[in-house]
Amino acid sequence: MTDSALCAVQLTKRYGRLTALDALDLDVLPGEVFGFLGPNGAGKSTTIRLLLGLARPTAGRAEVFGVDAADVARAHGHLAYVPADVALWPQLTGAEILHLQARTGPGTDVAYRDELVERFALDVSKPARTYSTGNRQKVALVAAFATRAPLLVLDEPTSGLDPLMEHEFRTAVRQARDRGQTVFLSSHQLAEVEAVCDRVGILRAGRLVEVATISDLRGLRRSEVTISYTGTAPDLTMIPGVAAVQPAGDGQLQFTLTAAPAPALRALAAVDVTALAVREPSLEEIFLDYYGEQASR
Amino acid sequence: MNTGILPASTTVSLTTEPSPGRAVTWLALRQIRRGGLTVTGLAAGMTAVVAATYGQVMADPAAAGSLRALAGNPAIRTLFGVPIGLDTAGGFVVWRVGTVIAVLLGVWSILATTRITRGEEDAGHWDVLLSGRVPLRDTVIRHLAVVMMVAAATATTITTVLLAAGTPPAGAIIHGAGTGLLGVFFAAVAALTAQVFPARSPATGTAVAVLGVGLLARMIGDGVTALGWLHWLSPFGLLTLSGPYVHNRTPPLLLLAVAAALTTTATLAAAGRRDIRGGLIPAPAGRPARTSLLAGVETFAVRRTLLPATGWLIGIGAYYLLIGLTAVSVTGFLRDNPALAGQAAQAGFAGLGSIPGFAATLFAILAMPVAGFTTVRMTAFLAAETDRRLTLLTSQPVTRIRLLGAEVAVTAVAAAFLVTGAGLLTWAGVTIMGGDLALAAALHGTWNVLPIVLLSLGAAVLAVGWAPRWTGLIGGLPSVGAFLLLIIAESTAAPLWVRDLSPFAHLAPVPLTGPDPAASAIMLATGVTLAVIGGLGYRRRDLLS
Repeated sequence: MTDSALCAVQLTKRYGRLTALDALDLDVLPGEVFGFLGPNGAGKSTTIRLLLGLARPTAGRAEVFGVDAADVARAHGHLAYVPADVALWPQLTGAEILHLQARTGPGTDVAYRDELVERFALDVSKPARTYSTGNRQKVALVAAFATRAPLLVLDEPTSGLDPLMEHEFRTAVRQARDRGQTVFLSSHQLAEVEAVCDRVGILRAGRLVEVATISDLRGLRRSEVTISYTGTAPDLTMIPGVAAVQPAGDGQLQFTLTAAPAPALRALAAVDVTALAVREPSLEEIFLDYYGEQASR
Repeated sequence: MNTGILPASTTVSLTTEPSPGRAVTWLALRQIRRGGLTVTGLAAGMTAVVAATYGQVMADPAAAGSLRALAGNPAIRTLFGVPIGLDTAGGFVVWRVGTVIAVLLGVWSILATTRITRGEEDAGHWDVLLSGRVPLRDTVIRHLAVVMMVAAATATTITTVLLAAGTPPAGAIIHGAGTGLLGVFFAAVAALTAQVFPARSPATGTAVAVLGVGLLARMIGDGVTALGWLHWLSPFGLLTLSGPYVHNRTPPLLLLAVAAALTTTATLAAAGRRDIRGGLIPAPAGRPARTSLLAGVETFAVRRTLLPATGWLIGIGAYYLLIGLTAVSVTGFLRDNPALAGQAAQAGFAGLGSIPGFAATLFAILAMPVAGFTTVRMTAFLAAETDRRLTLLTSQPVTRIRLLGAEVAVTAVAAAFLVTGAGLLTWAGVTIMGGDLALAAALHGTWNVLPIVLLSLGAAVLAVGWAPRWTGLIGGLPSVGAFLLLIIAESTAAPLWVRDLSPFAHLAPVPLTGPDPAASAIMLATGVTLAVIGGLGYRRRDLLS
């Protein structure tokens, strides 16, 4: 188990009768950027609270580099954290908060921190009271990225950032990975996860439904095929890998393809196909498919 | 994308007219209903209990004698006001619980008002609210009105209880109305400071300072005959001037009502002239970093405690300087009235005619404000946890015990500074007036209350670990709660064991006598045990956020 940067074994959290997290098994390897996806209320923040020892598991255990998450003095020596909704001491300025975080944290690269302040265009002379959501998030991000902690735990860190700053964020994540830092990125922004993550875990209603590499996840996709034809419509029943066949207007047909296309192409060859369009679904659509299926159950 | 008009079938037909204003009022009410019910219930309960015991106390000559001695105790007089009409049930109730209830209602009105107005605005909750159809001024006035309604409800309950107890209607109405108006006035003051300052803590602090100065002005007015006019400047003084059951004067209450109306008008004017999330005083735009005391968890706890501790030191210090300055004249008066001193001695307040004896009785009540300070610090620590300011620190390589321990240790040291300050200023006051009180005696006297303060702190830490929502109440039990228990037990001739439950019953009157090391050790040990149990709970529980 000590090989993992983050490890959860049968991690469970119940609040009374509500099961917020149900027997989560998770391994995040050192050096990888792990995306933790799920809709609001799926239990992402609960998982992070358990991994950080901010809440106690009802059952199971969590470890950070082989250290029990409850032993925060040791476990937190290996990590830096950006909460989902950053609250700061209103009377302290950004610079003062960064100073406090550096002095109490696991070690900070001050030169890099100053560079990050520049890159994120953060005015650190202002009291935190006057910061917008995005600026509060920037303070926490700068503090976390500037540490030399081998693990960064980021809980929906870009929800308040504008596109320019989101770009800076992605650059900072890549630089962290290049330095050998592990990144655990909780998000519901698929584009972000697709852009920076190596592997993804998908959480729904407190259960982990999938752990896959980004390319694996794309492999789950089904291509969406639209054809135009003249004359009789092709007969696509009983063709392996073809599903959801439906007319898409006059002389058009739409279907999804989840297997090798050869059988479908053979069937199409029998009719006069005038146009053929194949569309690759985005990760977002794959993701929605997951939850669409779950929701329709 | 089609942004066309919704088809007619999906248009919701409204069966009732929307009333956004009423919705805002309900929102305000929801936020304070529990506290409001508690305050009204406490006021009614305390009034009823004391009114019910009046007959019993007066029937027992020993109890009546000790009551008169208690009334002569200068500490009690400065706290509760000058007793007038102790020979009637109504007058007895007014003197015994009137000030306590007035302070309770006043402080609650301030805290509730700033919490649901500036606090909610600060937290960003009003951004959505004010994007609706209700403008800022209406929102403020509706929130303020709800707090004022609680004050009015308290007034009505007090009057009803007093009428039910068979006291004369005029006195019952004057007393109830006076208490309610005081709550209304302080709610208005808090609403005004919440418009002036762009943050909750200075708004609350300023309003509480107004209350403190008002209370102090009444105490000075009570203590120094030449300064009796100060009563007219203080809401508490105006209540004294109204003299329920004895004088039944309405002009002082009318003056208080006018002051409350003017303050409310000023609040509305201020609300109309400021930005949302801003105050009349703008928030500073920026400043160079001040990194002193930001080197670690412990020093950061010191940094956060410095300002509040200074505020408390000014308040407590001013009161004890006043005590020191008046000690010579008051003890002289008691020396010249041997009958009164004799009764006091019978009731256990021996040596009131001497400065050490006088100081000893007043040092006992020092435990309450200082324990109040420690409880407030613990609730502030919890507030940082619940509103997630503490999250960034709890994710650092710092144990929870160290976080809590730093806070508790710094609070305990600050409490020691407060009692030392009180001792020094009492000594200074006495010395300036040419009285005789050794510095060591004064300091020993104030340090003597530290075990009660630390017992309170221990109780608050216990609550932080196991029942965080009750921290304020549990932290206040060993100090304010225990003092009220002692006073009620003594004035209602309750069984001895009830009185002995109070740590104040075991507090040696230092510097009149030596300290009671056994009692102090038991209180300290209990406080430490409670704190350790609380720490264990805090280490284990989920953080609130």
